[in-house]
Amino acid sequence: MKKMLNAFKKYFADFGTAVAKGDIWCKLSLLVMGAGYWGRKQIVKGIIMTVLEVVVLLFTGLFSINYIKDLGTLGTVQYEAKFDPLTMKNTVNDYDNSLLILLYGIVGIIVIVAFILLYISNMKAVYRLQLMKENGEHINSFREDLKELINGKFYVTLLTLPSIGVILMNIVPILFMSCVAFTNYDIDHMPPNYLFTWTGLSNFKNMFTGGATITFSYAFIRILAWTMIWAVTATFTTFIGGILLAKLINHQNTYFKKVWRALFVVTIAIPQFVTLLLVSKMFSDHGIVNTWCSNLGLTSFLRDAGVISGNFIPFLSKPGWSHVMIILINIWVGVPYQMLTATGILMNIPTDQLESARIDGANKWQIFWKITMPYILFICGPSLIQSVIANINNFNVIYLLTSGTATANMAFANSNAKETDLLITWLFTLTNDNSNYKMASVIGIISFVICALLTLLSYSRMIKGDKEEVYQ
Amino acid sequence: MKKKVLSVLLVASMVASMTACGSSKNNEGTTANTDTKTEETAQTESTASADDAIANLIAATDGTVDITLWCSELEAYQNVMKDLTEKFKQQYSDVDFNINIGAVSEADAKDKILEDIDAAADVFVFADDQVNDLVNAGALQEVATTYTYDPTKTNSFATVEAASKDGKLYAYPLTASNGYFLYYDSSIFSDEDVASWEALTAKAEEAGKKVGCDIANGWYLYGFFAGAGCELTMNEDNSNNCDWNNATGLAVAKSIENITSSPAFVSVADADAIPMLQDGDLAAYVSGTWNTASFEEQYGDGYAACKLPTFDVDGTATQMGSYAGYKFVGVNSHAKNAGWSMLLAEYLTNEESQLAIGQATSEGPANTEAAKQIDSPALAALAAQSEFADQQVVGNQFWDPAKALGQNLVDGASDLQAVLDDAVSGITQPVAE
Repeated sequence: MKKMLNAFKKYFADFGTAVAKGDIWCKLSLLVMGAGYWGRKQIVKGIIMTVLEVVVLLFTGLFSINYIKDLGTLGTVQYEAKFDPLTMKNTVNDYDNSLLILLYGIVGIIVIVAFILLYISNMKAVYRLQLMKENGEHINSFREDLKELINGKFYVTLLTLPSIGVILMNIVPILFMSCVAFTNYDIDHMPPNYLFTWTGLSNFKNMFTGGATITFSYAFIRILAWTMIWAVTATFTTFIGGILLAKLINHQNTYFKKVWRALFVVTIAIPQFVTLLLVSKMFSDHGIVNTWCSNLGLTSFLRDAGVISGNFIPFLSKPGWSHVMIILINIWVGVPYQMLTATGILMNIPTDQLESARIDGANKWQIFWKITMPYILFICGPSLIQSVIANINNFNVIYLLTSGTATANMAFANSNAKETDLLITWLFTLTNDNSNYKMASVIGIISFVICALLTLLSYSRMIKGDKEEVYQ
Repeated sequence: MKKKVLSVLLVASMVASMTACGSSKNNEGTTANTDTKTEETAQTESTASADDAIANLIAATDGTVDITLWCSELEAYQNVMKDLTEKFKQQYSDVDFNINIGAVSEADAKDKILEDIDAAADVFVFADDQVNDLVNAGALQEVATTYTYDPTKTNSFATVEAASKDGKLYAYPLTASNGYFLYYDSSIFSDEDVASWEALTAKAEEAGKKVGCDIANGWYLYGFFAGAGCELTMNEDNSNNCDWNNATGLAVAKSIENITSSPAFVSVADADAIPMLQDGDLAAYVSGTWNTASFEEQYGDGYAACKLPTFDVDGTATQMGSYAGYKFVGVNSHAKNAGWSMLLAEYLTNEESQLAIGQATSEGPANTEAAKQIDSPALAALAAQSEFADQQVVGNQFWDPAKALGQNLVDGASDLQAVLDDAVSGITQPVAE
């Protein structure tokens, strides 16, 4: 912490020194960013810097400032259009679009922050040049700078594009989405015709405490619990299933190993959602499996036993039944993938360890639990965590299997949810069917926090440098 | 399965196009007549300013006019819309059009449009239940002026009413057949059998067949409560008033549970109903014109349709109500070429076009003249049901609680009063600020 504070201090102190001790070229750079380079004969670099400065200033001054200044209110002028029957055109007033204000406001602020950082480091760079000149050191020409970018500073070249990508594709949308959670953006406040505005923490309050009849908190707690149960169970069942299947196929008494493996790989080749749609039809209340069950007498047996009430087995339509079915179906869909991974790992277990264990008199069971499993867990640890996170957001399985079913629980229904929903499918229903973006954003933030925490925790614990030596 | 559906669709479109050919021959004279008639009335009625406006618009238009049109993904719809837009282009041959037809079903139009109004189609077909949300979001261009014909005069009063909000017309009525009624196999059920749910389920049990209605869906569930006189209305702020938890509501709920408790009754949505139908299990089902082809094919000579059955409320047979359904053509309030979009919408909904669409899709036109020229058992059943049908005016909070209520009734919940109380408190919950 202290280290960070010191680095922070030094960052600005360096800037101060540069301003104070810089010569005329340095001081000119405060105004025209390229000046300091021109003073040391770095003409092209100076031009690039100056052009960049002008572009940013123009972008901010002419474009983004219009949005940034409205960020506080997210717009005040509502859309009004008047249709002229003679020219058959709409005359539209100069209206504010809350959505664009929020979006471009965020982009504008990011650009300004980035520019300030660039400005400070530019000042320091210019001062460094001055010092180099005073000490009579060699100053790079533009050509030499370029060369360095593909040699010594190649990492800079490599990372530029991905960094820009991350900012555009991840940071901006995440910031934007997080902001929506603090507004009243929903079906009654839809841009461009209507404005939405900041409402502080009221959405979070609704989510966690619930109103009189708005049952968000009720649904939220239960959906969160099911999401976590689902993520962990789905991950571990497919994981264990995959390893066992791989062991089985690898077993010395198994014939046609390649045929078995190929058969399971073929199931991967069929797109997952085709499989899932088909399965959801098969297990629907009046689907083929139910027809079989009633022909076999299973349905009437279960009804007599008091397990079910209707004349079908509610595989996917009643809570409890559907929870179990979803996990079972997921095993079926997911095991082949894990089998492939496990096969690869099993083939690469260091045989010396297995051999020495055998010589020491360990039986197969002991070898499996004491050597094979820890080894697999070590190799797969990060990817397991990754699949827990992927399963938290496993939209396909849940949505495709249960989107056609209805809940009988009013408290769920009142907040547009149902028992088998994950956070992500609930979010989808809220945005897609109910245009309730504000609540969806709250859910989005919560699941983001959960996933981020999980990732951080697991990675910091599992891939700590020293552990790697255990298996070497 | 997919293939089967596809083949059904193909057959349907072929049948439709064949009947379209046949009837167009019969009606050639009459259509031509009415055509000139409408033109005449248009000319006499519309002041010179409408023609001036179109002339102005043509003069003011240079370059290509891009218009996107969204309509149902069904092949019959896509084809007839393509024909009609071609004719539209011919009518204004001085202008260069680029009309794109997208496949967005009228049921999904609202969701797609509200995702991003600016990016949505300029002209779209949508179902009447979306008028309120679309107007509230400001997505619909008000039909303040018309140029080629007057939709409020040529279309049935109910459709115009449903396309309006607060006395302003927001869309051009297209079809009047989006409601629901009962399809049944007349080789199994007699007229008396289909008169009431109790007789229908009893006969189905006897015959070993199934009868169905999607109870776990507020749209159909409404029919029972509305039929018994229960109330569901919408307030200014889009929240609902609902009294389904009073004594009548309780009696209705009991009656529904009685119906659903029959082993012959299934509560299935369309997606599950059609396979059941094709397996030969489903002998009667509450649905609408969008499924006509499937039922026609499956029941063959026994194919029949009628108004919805009655159900027993405290010993009195009560006629089931329903939602009347319409389809409209709307113009996006943010359309880049508002003028041309409005003219296209007008063209697609004039008498001639409505007739063509009706013949191609077996839907009933909203235009009263065109409606007279199309006749089918399904449309007759709709007409019989229409006196018990209500215009759909309901806030969004209705659907999910009503769905859960329906599911409870299908499951045979025991404490009905509590379920109804919960449902009503969900349906009437205040709209969040």
